[in-house]
Amino acid sequence: MPVQTPQQLNDLQKQYLADEEKFARKVLVCCGPGCLASGAANVVEEFKKLLKKKRIQNFSVEALKETGCHGLCEQGPLVVIEPQGIFYTKVKAKHVEKIIETSIRKDEVVTNLLYTDPKTNQTIERYADISFYSHQHRIALRHLGKISQYDIRDYIAQGGYQALAKALTKMKPDEIIDEVTKSGLRGRGGAGFLAGRKWATCRKAEEQPHYVICNGDEGDPGAFMDRAIMEGDPHSVLEGMIICARAVGSNDGYIYVREEYPLAVQNLQLAIDQATEYGFLGENILGTGFSFNIKVSRGGGAFVCGESSALMKSVAGEVGEPRAKYVRSVLKGLFDKPTVLNNVESFANVPVIINEGGEKFASLGTPKSTGTKAFSLVGKVRNTGLIEVPMGTTLREIIYDIGGGIQNDRPFKAVQTGGPSGGCLPESKLDLPVDFDTLTEAGSMMGSGGMIVVDDRTCVVDLAKYFLGFLVDESCGKCTPCREGLYQLHRLAVKISEGEATEEDLIKMEKLSEMIIIGSLCGLGKSGPNPFLSTIQYFRDEYLAHIREKRCPAGVCRALIRYDVIAEKCDGCMACIETCAVHAITGKKGEVHVIDQDKCDKCGACYAVCNRDAIKVT
Amino acid sequence: MTPDFSKLPQIIDRYPKNSESLIAVLQDIQKEYHYLPSETLKETAKALDVPLSKVFSVSTFYNAFSLYPRGEKVIRICVGTTCHIRGAKVIQQQLEDRLKIKAGQTTPDLKYTLEVVNCVGACAMAPVVIVNDKYYGSVKVSDSKKLMRRG
Amino acid sequence: MVHLTINGKVVKANEGEMLLAVIRREGIEVPALCHHEAVEPFGACRLCTVEITKEEWDGWSNFVTSCLYPVEDNLIVNTHSPTVIELRKTLIDLQLARCPNSPEIRQLAEEYGITKTSYEEIPDGDNCILCGLCTRICDQMGFAAISTVGRGHGKKVAPPLDEAPPDCVGCLACALNCPTNVIEFTDEGNIRTIWKKQFELISCARCGKKTITKEFAKALSELRNIPIDYFEICDECHRKELVQTMGRIASWSREVVS
Repeated sequence: MPVQTPQQLNDLQKQYLADEEKFARKVLVCCGPGCLASGAANVVEEFKKLLKKKRIQNFSVEALKETGCHGLCEQGPLVVIEPQGIFYTKVKAKHVEKIIETSIRKDEVVTNLLYTDPKTNQTIERYADISFYSHQHRIALRHLGKISQYDIRDYIAQGGYQALAKALTKMKPDEIIDEVTKSGLRGRGGAGFLAGRKWATCRKAEEQPHYVICNGDEGDPGAFMDRAIMEGDPHSVLEGMIICARAVGSNDGYIYVREEYPLAVQNLQLAIDQATEYGFLGENILGTGFSFNIKVSRGGGAFVCGESSALMKSVAGEVGEPRAKYVRSVLKGLFDKPTVLNNVESFANVPVIINEGGEKFASLGTPKSTGTKAFSLVGKVRNTGLIEVPMGTTLREIIYDIGGGIQNDRPFKAVQTGGPSGGCLPESKLDLPVDFDTLTEAGSMMGSGGMIVVDDRTCVVDLAKYFLGFLVDESCGKCTPCREGLYQLHRLAVKISEGEATEEDLIKMEKLSEMIIIGSLCGLGKSGPNPFLSTIQYFRDEYLAHIREKRCPAGVCRALIRYDVIAEKCDGCMACIETCAVHAITGKKGEVHVIDQDKCDKCGACYAVCNRDAIKVT
Repeated sequence: MTPDFSKLPQIIDRYPKNSESLIAVLQDIQKEYHYLPSETLKETAKALDVPLSKVFSVSTFYNAFSLYPRGEKVIRICVGTTCHIRGAKVIQQQLEDRLKIKAGQTTPDLKYTLEVVNCVGACAMAPVVIVNDKYYGSVKVSDSKKLMRRG
Repeated sequence: MVHLTINGKVVKANEGEMLLAVIRREGIEVPALCHHEAVEPFGACRLCTVEITKEEWDGWSNFVTSCLYPVEDNLIVNTHSPTVIELRKTLIDLQLARCPNSPEIRQLAEEYGITKTSYEEIPDGDNCILCGLCTRICDQMGFAAISTVGRGHGKKVAPPLDEAPPDCVGCLACALNCPTNVIEFTDEGNIRTIWKKQFELISCARCGKKTITKEFAKALSELRNIPIDYFEICDECHRKELVQTMGRIASWSREVVS
């Protein structure tokens, strides 16, 4: 089976495309992270069951593909019928029969499963027409939703491994690095280091051997771009890594996947096995004599292992404690040898750069932040999901044109980007272009691409407290400023949220933050105070309300709020009484309920379950 | 009830016998026994030629490992940022109150373990709860009883 | 040979040296609690941080731990700039919140003008500053008996499984080098107890003084290829014997000559 020449690869591509064209239809069922969480597995089961029984001309269960993330997770489970491009949303197992009879056997549409545009209230048949998709430019996510997650043949049919063939047979290692340098590709994990420069430094490093590592740790809560790529298009990552290995002179690679992504581990291992079978990995790749092997290394569950030196320790089977990077890991990395570490999304871009040229990639985006970026747009937006846009797109375009604005038409408050190392930006900053540098100047950070939108019912003090608590939990504990400093910063944030803080405490927190940034050993500590500093920069009034008035304007901080039943609206349905864990609500069926303030612990469960709007928070 | 350690050499044999394999071996042991019994730590130290202190250090550093037996049903509540702002804390409290344990603990009858996890990457469907490897998205506060029956 | 400026004075250093070594050679005192010449620098306490800059950096400066930063030509180093002092004060303040009763930390705090922590004291804090010296020294000695357990704020140094560590030989290298003297051990009669483990001490066959543990002797014997019975006699008695032997040799040679 191993493919020995580029011509053989071309022949295989033609053959696999022809195999697909045998079928009059293709059914793409999204099995990305979001759709799986809303029941896509049941939909797949039902399709398989029914398609085995039914006889449809020019169609069989082979044309059913379990794909990676389509992106519009809010509307999942998603099913797309090609070649028409029909986009079905919120599909359940019970809808499958109708879809088969309507859109596969015939050429019609099941209207009640179509997407409804929230602005116009019209249904839209084809996903290409939905503004969520039409505003995007998918490069790293190019195959997601279009090919089977489990079959290398789909990848090859779409032109997969052509870039590898070109790089190995038509280019020299220095030329590969030139192309990547021309593209201006900067590390998509968030640090934004020029990939071409990193590869060039590694190539020149005298010490052997050289290693290539893919960082699939994606620790930022709210980010799942890398998970989607690793699960939905694993070969794009492998191809990028093999090309890199050729360029920097490495024969051993690792993909480090976080422990919380077991499906990514599975899909990557399957892809590696298939690629090895086809001769794209292993000895004598494509008959060129170049050899490269990739191992999947599983994380143990530690956010700090997204940091490169901690990651390398984890790969070596040790605790993930970072080291000072005065000597960079590109020179002394894994096992103290020269190592290129790049993010999943960075590698996924590489085949496109090689196939179409670095200049074409650089023509997108902005001069200093070329190309596109994948974002996970989540939180209180209508269209939550996975998107990819050219660098330089504004926050407003992303949140309103693609995201569809705020859920329930509530007022926009802030957008949190960059995970725990990033910050919050308010409405006045919505016209800023998103790229590596602009958001940082404004006090936040683009980071790995997590974009969390919050509305007026999110308290920034609570959010800062949440992030600080997260970092205290995830700190490796090696250095004093991070371990003790962030702990004390968190304690002070708790004090504010409980209405016990003074304005001196705010000054103390600002000073302590400065020292933590200067003194910390690694990025986790150094950027730890950012969630606090960015929120105090733009939302100082909210902090002062907690301190001076002991009031939480957003109605979140438990010590400062109270829940009450609105007598006129309560019809005595007992839903809140059943939910209340501390039995603080009394009342019989049909009678107005009453909350005992002494027993109530302000958890908010009653507010969440009441669908008569009969509970208010002040 | 002591676990059956006869499978242990098989598990360790899956990987090269060196320190690099430590985390992978511990994960497979965790998967098999649902926790890391101390005997397995000692055996692993011997087999991989790693000091016991290092094995113990690694097994207590990472979130994936538990040194105490876990329940038949492991309920993991995602407390990533998106899940947090969509009410993960309320769901956590509901489950804690129904099961009468706090996150990180196991019920005395070993039926349930409740844990929090820092982001599982299904953020668009927040809040997310995982019961024994099955993902449930858009979980509502009133779903806690249902979740206990799942998995 | 590298030339750099420390606190305004131009000094020479060898390539590959760390800043801290050069600073100390110049007689400048910089605290460095997690540092020990016998082990690799660690960068955990951050107290040895210094401010560095270069002329071409246009006024921008960086803050690095001198124990781990290699010397560079034309580097300009300030070991006691205002920001560095403020950082050290903050670090000591934070440590004091963890170990309010540690005499060593309180003394260091006094040097920097701090009498009481301005932060919340940690409940159940002990005097361990988590510098990691004990575990690193134990590794260097070749035993790796203890390690750090857990992660982040709850991290502590402990024997594996909280039981008597199988690899510990009772050499006391950890306890004797702890900057805050937290590691407890007792020598009672000929029994040494440390880390919940008991060891038998060897009594010198000549003078009866207690020397090292049997286990440590065995380990040294294997590690350094020394016959085990060497350890039956203490160092002093070995030296006395050696002096006597040399004395006898000297008197023989005198006899021959005369």
